[in-house]
Amino acid sequence: MSTIMDGLWDDFAKANETPDGYLLATTISPEAPASDPARLYNWPKWTNAYSLQTDLRYKLQYNPALSLSKAESGAWLDVFTAYYAFTGKLLAAEEAQNAGNHREADWNSVYESWKEVLSAVYRGYSGNIFEAWTIPCLYAVGKYLRIFAIKADDKAAATQRDSGLAFGGLQEEDAFSATSKNEKLEDAARQINRIFALCLGDRNPLEDSRKWALYYTANLLFKTYFRLNSIPLSKNILRSLRAGAADTPPLSAFPKAHQVTFNYYSGVLAFLEEDYATAESYLLSAYQLCNKDAKRNLEMILMYLIPTKLLTSHKLPTKELLQQSPKLDRLFTPFCTAIKRADLRAFNAALEAGEDEFVKRRVYLTLERGRDILLRNLWRKVFLAGGFETPKEGEAATAPPVRKTRIPVREIAAALRLAGASEIDDGEGGVDADEVECMVANTIYKNHMKGYIARDRGMVVLSKAGAFPGTGV
Amino acid sequence: MYPQPAYTAVAARQTLQRPTPAPAVEPPKAKKVSWSPGVRGYVQRAFDADNAMAGIETPEMQQRLKIVITQAAEAGQLETIDWTVYPLPQHLIQAERNAAALSSTHAAHIANLNNATSYLSNGAYSPERNNKRKNGDLGATAGEESELTPPWKKNNTNKGSLEDRMTGKSKKQDKKQKKNDAFRANNLGTDAHVLEKRKQRFGYTSPEPSPYPSSRNDSPERTGPLVGTCQKIEKSYFRLTAPPAPDTVRPLRILEQALSHIRTKWKNEHNYNYACDQLKSLRQDLTVQHIQNELTAKVYECHARIALEMKDLGEYNQCQTQLRALYKSGVPGRSEEFTAYRILYTVYTCNRTDMNNLLADLTQADKQKSGVQHALQVRSALASGNYHKFFRLYRDAPFMGPYLLDMIIQRERIAAMAAICRAYKPDVSLSFIAQELAFFGDGDSPELDASQQCLEFLCEHGGEAFIDRTVVDNVRFQTGKAIQAFQDQRAAAFRSVDIKGQI
Repeated sequence: MSTIMDGLWDDFAKANETPDGYLLATTISPEAPASDPARLYNWPKWTNAYSLQTDLRYKLQYNPALSLSKAESGAWLDVFTAYYAFTGKLLAAEEAQNAGNHREADWNSVYESWKEVLSAVYRGYSGNIFEAWTIPCLYAVGKYLRIFAIKADDKAAATQRDSGLAFGGLQEEDAFSATSKNEKLEDAARQINRIFALCLGDRNPLEDSRKWALYYTANLLFKTYFRLNSIPLSKNILRSLRAGAADTPPLSAFPKAHQVTFNYYSGVLAFLEEDYATAESYLLSAYQLCNKDAKRNLEMILMYLIPTKLLTSHKLPTKELLQQSPKLDRLFTPFCTAIKRADLRAFNAALEAGEDEFVKRRVYLTLERGRDILLRNLWRKVFLAGGFETPKEGEAATAPPVRKTRIPVREIAAALRLAGASEIDDGEGGVDADEVECMVANTIYKNHMKGYIARDRGMVVLSKAGAFPGTGV
Repeated sequence: MYPQPAYTAVAARQTLQRPTPAPAVEPPKAKKVSWSPGVRGYVQRAFDADNAMAGIETPEMQQRLKIVITQAAEAGQLETIDWTVYPLPQHLIQAERNAAALSSTHAAHIANLNNATSYLSNGAYSPERNNKRKNGDLGATAGEESELTPPWKKNNTNKGSLEDRMTGKSKKQDKKQKKNDAFRANNLGTDAHVLEKRKQRFGYTSPEPSPYPSSRNDSPERTGPLVGTCQKIEKSYFRLTAPPAPDTVRPLRILEQALSHIRTKWKNEHNYNYACDQLKSLRQDLTVQHIQNELTAKVYECHARIALEMKDLGEYNQCQTQLRALYKSGVPGRSEEFTAYRILYTVYTCNRTDMNNLLADLTQADKQKSGVQHALQVRSALASGNYHKFFRLYRDAPFMGPYLLDMIIQRERIAAMAAICRAYKPDVSLSFIAQELAFFGDGDSPELDASQQCLEFLCEHGGEAFIDRTVVDNVRFQTGKAIQAFQDQRAAAFRSVDIKGQI
């Protein structure tokens, strides 16, 4: 017998003996392990379609090193049969890609053949053949299904001429119906959903349960649905998890990697619903659990955590934090500086500079509300600059000086102009006092400032104690 | 003799036997019909090897042919249908498949299932008939037959002439045909529902409504899309359930005339039902002929504007969706205007996801246009609560923006009042409120009129108690006391956003 595949079969045997799920998963991975880089290429060398079944049977059923049950070896037979077909497709596509022949690379069939592998693996679990320790195999099939789906869709998009919209039928009076240009990814989502349902519905006791794959699969689904821009589906996942929570171990019992990702996505989902309190707690957990070296993950978490904290506690990140990541530095540093300094001009500029990225990440609308904080800071500066009241007659000299609480609207308007607020210009070189009053009114309405406007006297009267809650003034 | 009796005499029953029912209308199929040359030609062309299409087997085509002819015969249209232009069965099948492939894979799956199962249910006698056709020439053995036909079909003594095959003389075949048709009709009739349910389960809620392609009735694609021949300018809208006959569809030229006609009539009569009906029919004619050009955009734009004027948001939203798709595919039109409307519409519906998606969709070029800029300013003013700016922008809204803004203005006025009450103490002048909340008067004394409108507004929302008229010329509103009242109003106003008609 040829020994070129021995690496794989040794790993397989070892994995079954230990048992080591992750090692097992490497045997059906589309990526060859570092120890055996030619593994995928060796498949077609080792066997061919004609003798595939015999060779596999020899390695799985009649192998003295392995002791698989009949059902197990049968299931693995299916898996490896599908896997063999897959390697053929993958190698062909990769070759075409590498040769620069992009149009020939048939990622579609790569996807379809990997789907067969997934189905074979799925059957192994749904028939209760594979034991629970093997679930890293589920991780592998799910993860790569997504990747191949994206590749296949990209290819389809490149060759498609239309804009992804197709004609409706005669029944309608309207021409267009929105069909998907993410066909394969949607299909992948359905497949992974099947796995999710399979894991959720596992009745075995916890030591032997597929439930341990739950959060990994949920995370895969989140990634997929986000890419498909379909938030409601993600909410379904959360709902299902909550419904099955009684039988599932708590999140903290799962591997950290699963926890971080799950917390991140839950946080983002809450953020998109404008439930900033929930978002903050999820994102904070994700941030704290996250490995300090996982720079990109930290960046992604902070991308949402910063706007969230801005709204909940009006707190801004420190310079040091932002400087840890060049991207965050570029996007947020000017933004935060502008708010701290109450510089409207700089704020608008910063928002515009990062607009594309902010809009893409859906944080733009939240960041806009930073303007409220900025204005509050501005009024506060005016207040502080106003100085103190002269102590009244008869008041003890030791009484703490009280700040002037009456601020003319004129002063506020001047401060706004200094800060670069062009919107208050009335177009004739003067200032639209009504607009200024409106902005102050909003700050009061949003409880960032305590006081009132005395319109007839053209004054803003602030509360003597704690005019700016949360800022110590 | 006697006057007419006050009762009507009826012959009494003499026996217990039930009266025989009226003789059933003989199905036209049972008659020996002489086929017109048109039909014969059609059938011949269907079987012609030159017209055969790859992937469509003869039995399937035959099946379809049978259905077509039977339907035509049943409807009595054998003579009226122009068989020379009627699409061949294989083309119908191909078009169906195309549509099925274009629509979601589920639909294709269902269609395939249907085709497969219908094929299966008929497969029993299709190969048999095929067989018989061959047998007619070659004289096959019974053994050959029995291989292909299940035992219960062997008694079928179908002779296998062309006409017999088409008309399906035997009762069994009738029943099978009916069952097949019903099966097909049911499954494909619920196709839209199944599709819709599936899509909903899957939640592909794109912001735009998606009219579901029916995988059954598609435009017959023979050498190109359908070209209409109807010359009527006015045409009422009827939902299609089958491929339309060309003489009911208006060609491009007529459609252009129809549009101007509808426009003039709208200007003169303002009859919304009429306009809506005509425009929908126009849209339908455009769709079945696959016309996607400036005229299509104009039609949708016209309909959208009319719907906006009549505050028909459901219809407006439909048109808006189609326009977006048209512009995206490069059709020229008033994209600045309608992008502005879209932004304002999304502001109205308070749909954050839509707004996020919309902002992500805007291109740099879009953002340069003044109409779009105005709408974006409205959005940002409202987002930050800057009512002062908003009411300024309300006055300057371009195009038909005011119609959309009118829908938001009521709740924004309440929101502004809530802020004003919180911020201003102890009271403010009525004229200030009227000015801030953009109450314009008209007529001879606009200021008085504006104050009047403002007062009405305040009273409508529970502010009656806080109006202070002690000084005659200077009516004041006691903001300090009205805080809770308007806060409650504001909460109520934003709680329910009326999106009736929006899919």
